[in-house]
Amino acid sequence: MSDSQAEVLMVDDSLADIELTSEVLGKTRWLPHLSSVNDGEEAISFLRRRGKYAAAPRPDLIVLDLNMPRKDGRSVLTEIKTDPTLAWIPVVIFTTSHANSDINRSYELGANCYLRKPGNLADFVALVDLMANFWLGFVSLPFQREEH
Amino acid sequence: MNNSTAATLKPQLYEPGDGARRHPNDDNVAGSRPSLPGPTKLRALVVEDSDADLEFLVRALRKGGFEPDIDVVQSAADFADRVCKNRYEIVLADYGLPGWNGMETLEILRREGLDIPVVMVSGSMGEIKAVECIKQGAADYVLKDHLTRLPHAVRRAVADKQLRDEHRRSQEDLARSNRDLEQFAYVASHDLQEPLRMVATYTQLLAERYRGKLDENADKYIHYAVDGALRMQTLVHDLLAFSRVGSKGTALKLTDCNAVVEAALKNLHVAVQESGTQIIRSNLPSVLADSSQLTQVFQNLLGNAIKFRGAAPPVIRIRGELVAREWVFSIADNGIGIAPEQADIIFVIFKRLHTRTEYPGSGIGLAICKKIVEQHGGRIWVESEAGLGSTFKFTIPAGGEPEEIDFLE
Repeated sequence: MSDSQAEVLMVDDSLADIELTSEVLGKTRWLPHLSSVNDGEEAISFLRRRGKYAAAPRPDLIVLDLNMPRKDGRSVLTEIKTDPTLAWIPVVIFTTSHANSDINRSYELGANCYLRKPGNLADFVALVDLMANFWLGFVSLPFQREEH
Repeated sequence: MNNSTAATLKPQLYEPGDGARRHPNDDNVAGSRPSLPGPTKLRALVVEDSDADLEFLVRALRKGGFEPDIDVVQSAADFADRVCKNRYEIVLADYGLPGWNGMETLEILRREGLDIPVVMVSGSMGEIKAVECIKQGAADYVLKDHLTRLPHAVRRAVADKQLRDEHRRSQEDLARSNRDLEQFAYVASHDLQEPLRMVATYTQLLAERYRGKLDENADKYIHYAVDGALRMQTLVHDLLAFSRVGSKGTALKLTDCNAVVEAALKNLHVAVQESGTQIIRSNLPSVLADSSQLTQVFQNLLGNAIKFRGAAPPVIRIRGELVAREWVFSIADNGIGIAPEQADIIFVIFKRLHTRTEYPGSGIGLAICKKIVEQHGGRIWVESEAGLGSTFKFTIPAGGEPEEIDFLE
């Protein structure tokens, strides 16, 4: 990971989860910059730098919820992983669902990892901390390629 | 449609010039409504090449109280065509048509997935052929010189078919309502978890950030809210586990219950050690079961035996006995026991006999045991006196597997 501040995009319709995640990320040693959008359409606009997202940063990590209004996480995941300019960005599925079908489908579509949102605070904090440490601290990613 | 071989014979309507072969002695052309009790309408497909035999057959049916509405075919192709396009209540097939074996009607029906009863009608059908026909799925066979038996054979074949239909319908209804119920529990569990998680995490955050900063009551209220949310999470989680038992079709395999008990005890080893539990077990049989589900049953029952122990360290006896084609498993403990009047309600989901501070748990364990045992075709119950320990018993049918028969002997 470069010296510059890491960029995280969280795609989630739960403001409460974004708030909590943001709090926890603010206390990790990586201090990433967190952007958030609340549905799949917004996420795609953000990633494709459309409209108000013209100056959006390119995320180093995408934290993606599955069940959202308008465009759900599965469609967003499909779009990301079939676009060579986006496919390299690690996508962590972060959802309440623990249905086997959701887990299997996510990996089929190319999710880099699947995490269930824990039901209590201590576990939630520990998991987000772990996720930030792992993906922003330890994982080596391909060198970023800017699209032309 | 080839009218030259596939002929229509409708006793009620006279339609001249349609090329259909008409029954010569058809005297019921007026189409008058029969008076009560009246003949029973019968839509039948007849495989027959002899006009005379057809006449005898129709007469026999009329005499037996039927008002037959008959199509006649003489070839396999016509039979297949007719039978797919119409709704017949019965097929009456001559066994010995030249160039066409009546047994083929059964094959065609099977191939087309049609459940229409077939009565073989034959002039000379040896016993061996008759037995073969029944084996292939014919409802009955009637000899042409005993046609008086035909109405009875037809009536019974049609009634059997109706029973089959009713049985299938109620099976389908049951399967559908089970599916709906499981789907409901599954969706409800997922959708309930989401807001619940929010309540739980944020009340916990409140407790963490503001403990001691508000007044004493506030701390207590927050504690109640956190506790309630966490308990609700457990309930929803357990409900999901309960609904999952049987949501996927269980594949029953011959399962060694000794290994199953071994696995259950391994999962419970901390509790066994801490409580100083002594397990006494006899050699257990192999049964047809879903081994992971059966492990869950033993684990829940053994776990309860340890949890609801008395002052003395638990002593648990596990046995399996063959009683009237069923294996009766028993898990007997020396724990606190259950009053007989409460023996039934303990198997109801979320029913508890103790407060949460006395014994933790949501009351799901025995409900899951009951569901699993019943899905294996067995029963579960408890024999107990308060203070005198409990013996939980459940049955699993002894299957017809050769290994099991060896075991019996």
